[in-house]
Amino acid sequence: MALPMVDATLHAFALLFTGDAGLWHIIWVSLKTSVIGLLLAAPPAVLLGYLIAMNRFRGRRIAIWLAQAALSLPTVLIGLLLYLLLSRRGPLGELQWLFSQPGIVFGQCVVALPVLLAFTLAAVQGLDPRYAETAVALGASRRQVMLRVLYEGRFGVMAAVLSGFGRVISEVGCALMVGGNIEGQTRTITTAIALETSKGEFAQGIALGIVLVALALLMNGALMLLQGDAHAARERG
Amino acid sequence: MSISIHTSISAAVYENENQRLRDERRKALLGVRGLRKRFREHNRERLLFDIERIEIATHSAYVLTGINGAGKSTLLRVLGGLERAEIDSLRFACDDVLRVHPYPRALREAIVYVHQHPILFSTSVAHNIGYGLQLRKMPKDEIARTVADAMAWAGVTHLQDHDPAKLSGGEKQRVALARAKVLQPKLLLLDEPTSNLDGAAREQVIELIPTLVEAGSSVVIACHDRDLINLQGVQRMKLRDGRLEYR
Repeated sequence: MALPMVDATLHAFALLFTGDAGLWHIIWVSLKTSVIGLLLAAPPAVLLGYLIAMNRFRGRRIAIWLAQAALSLPTVLIGLLLYLLLSRRGPLGELQWLFSQPGIVFGQCVVALPVLLAFTLAAVQGLDPRYAETAVALGASRRQVMLRVLYEGRFGVMAAVLSGFGRVISEVGCALMVGGNIEGQTRTITTAIALETSKGEFAQGIALGIVLVALALLMNGALMLLQGDAHAARERG
Repeated sequence: MSISIHTSISAAVYENENQRLRDERRKALLGVRGLRKRFREHNRERLLFDIERIEIATHSAYVLTGINGAGKSTLLRVLGGLERAEIDSLRFACDDVLRVHPYPRALREAIVYVHQHPILFSTSVAHNIGYGLQLRKMPKDEIARTVADAMAWAGVTHLQDHDPAKLSGGEKQRVALARAKVLQPKLLLLDEPTSNLDGAAREQVIELIPTLVEAGSSVVIACHDRDLINLQGVQRMKLRDGRLEYR
């Protein structure tokens, strides 16, 4: 029983280190769609998180509740909603994004948005309010106050971005439903693992799993480093 | 003959200049009519203060006293544009201010509030002092010169590259004063600048305050500190039972 596992693992390493074109293309599509989706989602999400954290308005608590609830929304449900939006008869059907990389990017954007928003919100809320007050007192405009506050909360905002990346690179439901898992086009790491496993082809699945684990370790390592810096800064303060 | 005419003209110019300076000094800097601050406490609205008028003259120093909870800090924060309050009318440097929430840019740049426990940005001491100048788009070399002068004034030159989080309370307060001074504010609002300081740190801060007025700012200091209250040339205001008394 253990022997096929060992064989598959050895084959997986061989695929990784011999530069298997198909495998690396899947990794490339995953990284590309995740990073672009994240870059598109980050500015509005960070801005929204900042605005909700810094302003008192009617419905603010509902906005925070919705942002936090969206964190636990299954990505397959997001995929379903986007499928309905992007399908030929859907309101965004004319874009022809269904089963295409722009469609996956759109999906990754929607998946990343709540994570980025909720984490930024928490990071800004946790900051000393005197940072913003001091900037105002020294003559900063609203935009300048925002830049100063986000700079002071940069560890939290970076943690938000890293967590967002972790969420989009590892999700399968949305990429599968919106991308369609088309070989050479919209096949991502997670959709490929699901497919190869269902076919009983474990080597490629394990190879891609190794890449995902490496990415997860890398992201969490970076996060730990950042948090370590933030703790050190707090202790100094 | 020509020397005599020249001397007379010089004397007249000198006298006119003196008169202009005297007029300038007498000018009202800030005039507020009808200032009320309410807040909710245990589901009941409470009036913290109801001040008929506040007059702050140019190039003058004021101390604002009152028991804890009288609203001294809140009053400074309202005047600094950091907190909302009901204001019937506000004049600043002879101009009516039509929008008080938030303050217009000119007013934001003319009034600087220094917190009781100043917070410094997580950059360097020099960057903290130059921050307001950056906002005002001053050229970099001029910022460097102004910051160097201000650090020398506050006695923090040796700290210029230090991590602000590692400074003592007194050093933070002096950096905060330098950060405010470089902006040459028309009105400087200092909230208990010597509280939580003792010994040399407190004396260093007290020594800096009269030089701020000499540099051209009007200063309002909320405090309990006897040495600040008894500073020479300082006018006294007391917030009592929600009213402002001039003494």
